[in-house]
Amino acid sequence: MAALVLARIGLSRAQLLGGPRQRLLSLAVAHLSQESAELSHGNLQYPGIVESTEEYRFVERLIPPTRVPEPPKHGTYPTPSGWRPPQDPPPAFPYFVRRSRMHNIPVYRKMTHGCRKLTVIRKIEGDIWALEKEVKEFLTELSGKTPPTQVNEIACFILIKGYFDEELKKWLMDKGF
Amino acid sequence: MLRQAVRWLGRGAAPRALSTVSNQKGLSGISDVSATEVDAASLTAKCHGGVSSDPILRKCNIAVPKHLMPVQAWVESLKHYDARYEGLTDLHPDVFAVMPRIDILHTVAIWQKNFKRISYAKTKSRAEVRGGGRKPWQQKGTGRARHGSTRSPLWRGGGVAHGPRGPTSYYYMLPMKMRVLGLKVALTTKLAQDNLHIVDSLELPTSDPQYLMDLARYRHWGQSVLIVDVNEIPEDIKSATSSLKTITVIPAIGLNVHSMLKYETLVLSLDTVSFLEEKLLWHDTRYSPLYPFRLPYSDFP
Repeated sequence: MAALVLARIGLSRAQLLGGPRQRLLSLAVAHLSQESAELSHGNLQYPGIVESTEEYRFVERLIPPTRVPEPPKHGTYPTPSGWRPPQDPPPAFPYFVRRSRMHNIPVYRKMTHGCRKLTVIRKIEGDIWALEKEVKEFLTELSGKTPPTQVNEIACFILIKGYFDEELKKWLMDKGF
Repeated sequence: MLRQAVRWLGRGAAPRALSTVSNQKGLSGISDVSATEVDAASLTAKCHGGVSSDPILRKCNIAVPKHLMPVQAWVESLKHYDARYEGLTDLHPDVFAVMPRIDILHTVAIWQKNFKRISYAKTKSRAEVRGGGRKPWQQKGTGRARHGSTRSPLWRGGGVAHGPRGPTSYYYMLPMKMRVLGLKVALTTKLAQDNLHIVDSLELPTSDPQYLMDLARYRHWGQSVLIVDVNEIPEDIKSATSSLKTITVIPAIGLNVHSMLKYETLVLSLDTVSFLEEKLLWHDTRYSPLYPFRLPYSDFP
């Protein structure tokens, strides 16, 4: 037991000294008997601790950010994924649809009761009823019949019956949101 | 009265002076300094002792979305009764002009009431009431109803059936984004209802509580005032409010929806506005936490 403790001290010493004395683990184990023999004489002089701030930048590199970064400037739009930044200056409509925190258009699919398929447009500001009217006109042209919609003026979203998310995303992007 | 008038004149003159300068430069270059420009400049310098020429004392530190305009509020001072219009401040529309979600306000207020509640109601069941181990009379032959214990819930002095059991915790936690939205909505409604006042600092000329009461009365701040500051709270206002029941000073990290609804008027200092905007707007751009926010992140506000 005592030998094991001594061996551990020997190991840490070997690591602390570093440089030429640093060995692979197997080598260190091979040299344990020698080290312990050295220590058993009773000269327990530990080497001082060397504090190094040099390598801390590698630690800093690993600390993640909390904020979603601004998207970089691309050469051409849309990017291969189909993403486009919002138009600058913003389009002049009585309503505005803001981007999500990940810089996408906030149009999502939703399903309730396992079969009730809905599309939701979120983050609408301004005249939500004007947007609803235009959405209805657009979807009537698209699908041939007017889908039922539900406007939540308080929480600023519109529910549309049926899955129209891809079409609405493209439509809103073309409008400049 | 006279001083007020002078100040108003000065404020009116300031933008005019600026526009004159820019016009002149735009037309004839810098070297050609006209008499009107000099006049305007000297007037500005004369009229504004401490007040800067720009009436907007504070701009938003965080960029305002391009489709929105910053909302504005007067900056007041507590140093004098009449120091009500020291300048203007820009307020970020995503904090001070959000959708007035009364439902969120209700949810957060009820959460604040309940999440720290512990109900101590407790009753004794038939097992906990003393006695009742013996069958009171035999099962058959007495002509009476059959009973096995004198502490049954049917008996007087018996245990309670389905009573409250022991201390109950009502703890639950709302999503962080909902709590943040609650704060934004509360600030928005305070501003919209003209119950939000911005002051440059909390410096008082005296530590007399009566001065603060008179000030609140003179400015129609209503029944109760909540004063919030992010910096070290000055001694004067601390001692003035320590004996007052309706005027309270709290640090900015203690600001909450319940207090904002409880107090009629909310008074924020300029630094507090910056602090709140930074803290609250961070939630609009942050990721979901990878690990708890108390652990290190590179850009935690």
